[in-house]
Amino acid sequence: MVTSATETASTLDQATLDALRESVAGVLAEQCGSTELHAFIDGKSALDKTLWAQAGRLGWLGFGIPEPFGGLGMGAQGLAILHGELGRQSAPGPYIATLSAAQTIVETGGEAIRQTWLPRLASGEASAAVPATLDARSLTRSGAGVSGTLRCLGATDAAFLLAPADDAWVIVDLARAEVTAAPMWDRTRDVIDVRLKDATPVGVLPDAAATRAALTQVMALAVAADSAGGARSITERTIAYMKTREQFGQPIAGFQALKHRTADLATRLAVADEMVRHAVQRIVTDEPDAELWASLAKSEVTEACVLVTTDCVQLHGGVGFTWDFDPHIFLKRVRLNEVLIMANTALRDQAAAALAAITASGRSALELGL
Amino acid sequence: MSILDAQHDLSAFRQEIRDWLSKVVPPDWKARMARASNDEYIAFQRWWMAERSKVGLAIPHWPQEYGGAGLSHRHLVTVADEMARADAPQSRLFTISLIHMPGTLLPHGTEAQKSRYLAGVANGEVWCQGFSEPNSGSDLASLRCRAVRDGDHYVINGQKIWSSNSMYADHCLLLTRTDPNAQKHRGITYFIMDMRSPGVEVRPIRQANGRSEFGELFLTDVRIPAENMIGAENNGWRVAQATLASERGVISFEGGERQRYEMEAFYRKSLEVGAAWLRDAQLHREFISFLAEMQAARRLLRRVLEESDRPEASASVLPSIVKLSSTVLRQRICSFMVRIAGVDGQAFALLAEEPFGSPMFEFMSAFSGTIAGGTNEIQRNIVAERGLGMPRI
Repeated sequence: MVTSATETASTLDQATLDALRESVAGVLAEQCGSTELHAFIDGKSALDKTLWAQAGRLGWLGFGIPEPFGGLGMGAQGLAILHGELGRQSAPGPYIATLSAAQTIVETGGEAIRQTWLPRLASGEASAAVPATLDARSLTRSGAGVSGTLRCLGATDAAFLLAPADDAWVIVDLARAEVTAAPMWDRTRDVIDVRLKDATPVGVLPDAAATRAALTQVMALAVAADSAGGARSITERTIAYMKTREQFGQPIAGFQALKHRTADLATRLAVADEMVRHAVQRIVTDEPDAELWASLAKSEVTEACVLVTTDCVQLHGGVGFTWDFDPHIFLKRVRLNEVLIMANTALRDQAAAALAAITASGRSALELGL
Repeated sequence: MSILDAQHDLSAFRQEIRDWLSKVVPPDWKARMARASNDEYIAFQRWWMAERSKVGLAIPHWPQEYGGAGLSHRHLVTVADEMARADAPQSRLFTISLIHMPGTLLPHGTEAQKSRYLAGVANGEVWCQGFSEPNSGSDLASLRCRAVRDGDHYVINGQKIWSSNSMYADHCLLLTRTDPNAQKHRGITYFIMDMRSPGVEVRPIRQANGRSEFGELFLTDVRIPAENMIGAENNGWRVAQATLASERGVISFEGGERQRYEMEAFYRKSLEVGAAWLRDAQLHREFISFLAEMQAARRLLRRVLEESDRPEASASVLPSIVKLSSTVLRQRICSFMVRIAGVDGQAFALLAEEPFGSPMFEFMSAFSGTIAGGTNEIQRNIVAERGLGMPRI
């Protein structure tokens, strides 16, 4: 999946990708540092809006969108970089919802829907909402209208909702819908409740199974990359703090019990990064096991990152339990990541079923190449 | 016939290895080895080395002037990959001969030492390592085995431990203390010791997994010619770093690949027989999580290989991170296998024919990963201090 967008991506070399990552990281480090982030979560700035506008100007929102629709056509590789760096700074904004909706439209949207929405999403003019969980919940369709209530990932000013409605997926203009913000513990994310009453969809994606699969895969990758980036960042911040915090006449970073814990965190992070890279690689080369590995990247990485981030709170000691330090921001974000899309147990069950199917067909899901 | 003739075309090279392995590896070798005595096992290892030698695959990665074929890293990885895929025997008796000895002699040995010892491996010479001592494990630099100069010889007295296959070894990579008054890292000298010298006594150590792969060395007035010194007197610690660094790379890579095939074979077999654990959702999830971690570990091992060709590789802590993740994963996988196998899985058996056919043996053996080659606690120190810049206190 994500093939059309990634045909160019498979030719991207590591130097190009590294340069891309550095440019995104540089901008975010400057504008979304700890001070700016704290001001935002305390309601003292509109950092989410300014970052979003800038992301649109810099072309970030089109990383995964093919060039004919105003994007850069870098597919999963570009998306993983962007989400990883947004995660590193816990950057606020409706990135996961919008970029995932865009990628799904690329896959199963049909030409009219692509023409209408992709250029607007790539420029940042429009943002999107998607269901926070892709379980059985669905809107209902009656005649030409759709109705129902869904808790979604997306901003209150999202232009449209991409959601299941009985046997199809629909795009619903949110301009006239009832949209209420649902404040979360993770203040860097927008979650909304959308209530629709006989709304007329502006687009229909008839292949429900393919659409669900496409959105699951792209969201899984986004959430995994965001978590891995965030957990690495807060671990680095924690280690920096441990080198300055003195007790018993020495920096606490010198105590072996704590050193060993941070070494374990570094090990978990290295594994998490590889899980994300593995999923990206399988998606880029369009392997039949891509969905399996994207699902597992989400389940394994989000859980590992919850453990890592939890330990970062603990390693800070008292200040780790304060609002003014960074760890809680990252912990809350990765905790939300952990439950998005669907329960990790369900993702593992899906992956197990996929493994059985691939194995039964006489192939292997474990090929890596050299 | 030499497989090396196909070296210029990597996929043809791979195919040649695959064809050769399909002919040469006895299908029942695991079943035979599961029942083999130590002598039979050693004979089998020597036979396997001789077979590898016949087709040019004994020491293909060594420089041509020392009997190798100067093959690239990519070729070596291909060999390892095919060996794992075919579930061919490992050359465990020759690990030190193939990895540690050249890893030490190539950068630090004299020309005479290189031409004398390197070529001997293709003829089946077995090497062992005399590093650890009963009182010097993680704190290796505190070693006390004494070497005292006497004319053109050194006289050795002391004890060594955890020396793999020392019972069968022809030569030993030996660390000794030559200057007891110097700071501990500065008074160490590195020698090649002939294991047939008078005064060398080896006693096997029985391991918790029932095997005896290690020996303990008792050295009493052993005379080593001064020309057998590797590097300068009192400079042995630096030379030893090359030995330790050589452990990283292809050998762990092959281990990771073997585990992949083992897990896959286990899973296929479970599907075929409709194993009970497949019907337990929680166990099924646990297994699938192992696969995700295993893929990550295999990718990390590939990174170590890529990195090992670069000059800054010696400063990297990636090998330590890889050791921490893969050895703990192995332990968890083996633990899972023990749990699902019930009482039958704890019936006493060593090497088994089926994948994880003797899970308790595999579980007990997994400690060699977390303890040998620098315990995981030492690896954590390395990651924290060298990798994360945390202070040494």
